[in-house]
Amino acid sequence: MNENEIKVIKDVPKEELITGGTFACGGCGAVTGIKFTLKALGKNTIMVNSSGCMTLTALYPFTPYKVPWVHLAIENAGSVATGILMGLKAQGKDKDTNVVVYAGDGATYDIGFQSLSGAADRKENFIYVCYNNSFYSNTGFQRTGATPLLSETTSTPLPNILPRKHMAKIMVDHECEYVATACTSYPLDYMNKLREASKYKGVKFIDLLCPCVPGWELKPGMSYEAGKMMVDTGLWPVYKVVKGQFEVTIKPKMLPVRQAFEMQGRFGHLKDEHFKRIQDQVDKEWAHFEKGEYYKACEY
Amino acid sequence: MTNKNITTGLNKMKSRTYTGTPDRKRANIDILDGNGVTAQAVLLSRVQSIPIFPITPQTEFIKTMAQLKEKGIYKGEMNVLESEHSVLSAAIASQMTGARTFTFSGSQGLMLMHEMLYVASGTRTPMVMVNGSRALSAPITLWPDHNDFFDQRDTGWLMLATESNQELLDSIIIAYKVAENQKVMIPFMVNMDGFIQSTTRTEVEIPEQNKIDKFLPKLKQQVKLDVTKPMTLGLGAMEDYMFFRSQLHKVNLDAKKVIMDAHKDFAKITGRKYDVIDTYKLKDAKVAIVIMGADSTIAKATVDVLRKKGKKVGLLRMRLVRPFPEKEIRNALKHVKHIGVCDQNIAPGMSGIMFNEIRSALYGEKPLVSNYIFGLGGKFISKEDFGKVFNELLTNKKEKRAWIM
Repeated sequence: MNENEIKVIKDVPKEELITGGTFACGGCGAVTGIKFTLKALGKNTIMVNSSGCMTLTALYPFTPYKVPWVHLAIENAGSVATGILMGLKAQGKDKDTNVVVYAGDGATYDIGFQSLSGAADRKENFIYVCYNNSFYSNTGFQRTGATPLLSETTSTPLPNILPRKHMAKIMVDHECEYVATACTSYPLDYMNKLREASKYKGVKFIDLLCPCVPGWELKPGMSYEAGKMMVDTGLWPVYKVVKGQFEVTIKPKMLPVRQAFEMQGRFGHLKDEHFKRIQDQVDKEWAHFEKGEYYKACEY
Repeated sequence: MTNKNITTGLNKMKSRTYTGTPDRKRANIDILDGNGVTAQAVLLSRVQSIPIFPITPQTEFIKTMAQLKEKGIYKGEMNVLESEHSVLSAAIASQMTGARTFTFSGSQGLMLMHEMLYVASGTRTPMVMVNGSRALSAPITLWPDHNDFFDQRDTGWLMLATESNQELLDSIIIAYKVAENQKVMIPFMVNMDGFIQSTTRTEVEIPEQNKIDKFLPKLKQQVKLDVTKPMTLGLGAMEDYMFFRSQLHKVNLDAKKVIMDAHKDFAKITGRKYDVIDTYKLKDAKVAIVIMGADSTIAKATVDVLRKKGKKVGLLRMRLVRPFPEKEIRNALKHVKHIGVCDQNIAPGMSGIMFNEIRSALYGEKPLVSNYIFGLGGKFISKEDFGKVFNELLTNKKEKRAWIM
């Protein structure tokens, strides 16, 4: 699919463009995501951040970033990327520079949706990665549009009864040429998607599931496993939609959803009937995915 | 037909029917409204990037720039975004790459930008913005007053209010010169009155491009987003926050001298002299009005009328609002017996906003200071109205707070 494809893990660039020693929690999926993003895209990358957990990776006078990095506010990552591209284009520098947004799910699904939608509409040339830990983690785990059904959050102590937004589908509807979902527990899949996305025009949207150790109430050190289990149970479908063509890139093992939920304290209140309800929904969804019926799978 | 005027080219004077008596020795006279003048200033300043969102009274500017871009006269970028908040976000980011950036808004648009105004000054991006002043909703209206402008008073921007379109043109160029000074590096907001300036065509002399190029050389930004020299911009701070704010305050204060120097340099190339405050027949005045914006012209005409009758009246027009020219104001006004601060804005529950500042500048000095609120939402004000104010100032022995309506 791509001459730059990374086939095995040892082909991943060794150079680290984000150093260790950030202020992030141990096992943070989102920092791991930044690491993979910069490894895949390389040095000629400008990273845009929106206010959130990842803003706290750089606190004056420290920075872990070896690429240009900018943060302005929470709700404008799409516009900041637009501005950078305008400035670069005015100086003839836009051809050889990647602009990548790395914004949280609250900043993408909710408060920053307008700026993302506007940028997608204008076909601005950048990659938008939503690091999705499925709530406002930085402020203490309140519900966002990305919070899964029946998850407990600090704003929905009786669990969240609203289904999550299908952000990827919304971006497909913006006629984005490249839309994908990914998970930090499958780094090669994610990095190859970033490299493939670079070839397309307009906003390239990747919804990256990043396990959050304190928010998902994981045991320390279980970040990788928790993410992997979300994919393997089919709870987090990993696919891409390239110019409207839907393709599943990681086929789930379809393990019982219960196994994913039992690792996460935020689902600790779930009972058998809940597991069954969600299992039925996931099975129904995947029946459609397997037939390539993307839109039907996204229906509730 | 503003656009036609502009597209005739940068420095070409074209003959057209036109009342008034232009000085034929000065080459580049044009008749432009505020939107047209802003477009000219953008061309002269060699702006590279304009993120923008349409709002009355600035829409003509977008139309003009779009036409100029299509004809290849404007060679930079222009992008109509989906909101003013996004516009200012993009403008900051664009300036952060080292491209000279401009934007133009007003009223509700400026209010939506409010959050990002602090970010712009906090990240020290030397961009320039014009505000077409327009009264704030609710009730929503189209006519000018200065509440939108004064609401941005504490954002850390350098702020300047103009009276005429000529002054607007010159001020935009001066603003870039100041903002981009290595000792300053703060964004600059230039105010014009919506409709009165933006849509009224007046005679404007357009400076020559080569002179402006010398006055305002190419931008060489040191701190920027550049893959060859990675920097982390807009990062957070904890206990160092106060240090950054103190620096912003200090630099804002120190910018006054840079502005004064820029005024001198600008006078050398164009002959047009500006100061941080604009005084009119104030030296021997017994009473004076303090005012800001385009309606100053009417007040100045009133001064002329009363002077002819032998009344010793004068006027001070606020040009530089931030940094606040406290010393200059005190020196210009301390001999006056009674001052009437005419505010085209209102801080409900308090008074006019400028009134507070002027009175604070005069603390410990002799003058009585009265406050008149006028022209909110473009409420018409006449020479007679100003005449009444002057009469009150001349006769009243007590301070007064009143509305002219």
